Amino acid sequence: MDKAFLIQFTGSMAAVAVLVGLAAWARIGRPSPGLDEARARDLLAEDFPDRQVDQLWIAREGRGALARSGACALVLIQVGDGYAARRLSWCQASSAMFRNGLLDIHLDEVAAPRAVLAFDNWPPKDLAA
Amino acid sequence: MDDIDPVGLAVPFFILAIVLELLLGRLGWARARYEPKDTFTSLAMGLGSSVAGLATAGVIFAASLWVYQHRLFDIPMTAIWAWVLIFLLEDKTYYWFHRLSHERRFWWASHVNHHTSQHYNLSTALRQTWTGGVAGTWLLWLPLSLIGFPPAMVAIQKGISLVYQFWIHTEAIGRMPRWFEAVFNTPSHHRVHHARNPRYLDRNYAGILIIWDRMFGTFQSELEAEPCRYGVVKNLATFNPIRVAFHEWAAIGRDLLRARSLREAALYVFGPPGWSPDGSRETSHQIRARWAAGQGAEGLSPAAAEAIAPTPDAHSGSPA
Repeated sequence: MDKAFLIQFTGSMAAVAVLVGLAAWARIGRPSPGLDEARARDLLAEDFPDRQVDQLWIAREGRGALARSGACALVLIQVGDGYAARRLSWCQASSAMFRNGLLDIHLDEVAAPRAVLAFDNWPPKDLAA
Repeated sequence: MDDIDPVGLAVPFFILAIVLELLLGRLGWARARYEPKDTFTSLAMGLGSSVAGLATAGVIFAASLWVYQHRLFDIPMTAIWAWVLIFLLEDKTYYWFHRLSHERRFWWASHVNHHTSQHYNLSTALRQTWTGGVAGTWLLWLPLSLIGFPPAMVAIQKGISLVYQFWIHTEAIGRMPRWFEAVFNTPSHHRVHHARNPRYLDRNYAGILIIWDRMFGTFQSELEAEPCRYGVVKNLATFNPIRVAFHEWAAIGRDLLRARSLREAALYVFGPPGWSPDGSRETSHQIRARWAAGQGAEGLSPAAAEAIAPTPDAHSGSPA
């Protein structure tokens, strides 16, 4: 590797660090007060317009949500100040590991490896049969 | 002139412009949203892209030179008419490259990372591919060298186009003057391109001139009533640049493992993004059609629904 490239690369990394630092300092992300039921339903409707939400559970502090829709589970994962949504089978969601108040759902995708949602208990007490 | 690299020369400007956008956003003087992790991913993708580009630069340059040796005409690099001509031809090439990159999964796998941010700011412009050289879209520019444009001239014009496209990745600029919006790609037009709203999917592929979209039926103006929601159809749940760069390639590999025939395998690779043999996924075309049908059901006249529905020959899309 030649010296010019190394200098340029190192300088670029420094610039990245400075810009990310500035972005953190500026605090101009999207306002994200956490999900409430209405917002969660809106987000799910955007990603799954044809699916009806039968039951919905909001994770602690609104940092994600899980919904049951027939034989499917719809999950909202907080990603920075936004959300990603995924659909999986209800069996997969309901049988996910629940430990220390965290439901750890393996989504098995490179783009979305897992969804970790904080709940007081799981399965929830109000889960319909 | 052969050594001019517009992108390299513009890097300090890129950095200063991002700083300026951040400060204007912080002061509340302009609309700018930055999330630190998202910003890191965008900038890391940009840095990685320039490094990855070195791996294939030699092959691309050699191929361009070889084609140029078999050129049809001698086009002087010093003639103004030659620059006007290459500006138009390169920009039209970019339009088709970009459209191909959205409408066929093999090339979408390389391009998708540019669309993975849920934000739209100047750092998003730098969220560039790591696999463009491997995907081979550079082949589309070879005919320019075959016509007789020197490879350096083609490279410079490509660089000018990339530099132009930097400034349009912003929410800080609303709309440009009407005449400008009619001819050139602008922040407003490109916001539409980065949006995941069904109405906006696979629209506005332009590089510098928006006229190509108007000519080829892929233009959509930004509507006040429908704010852009940025990202891809299935947003990523990670900021890891490695995952961002390779996730669609991995998904293609996985689909190939379960393909039951050569036809299925071919469509998984070269079909529209979102294609599946059982219809369990949706292409952009299908998403737009479903949405348009819903609009029709909500009171649009059939003619209006038809106007917003995708044309059957294109726009089969780019959901991730």
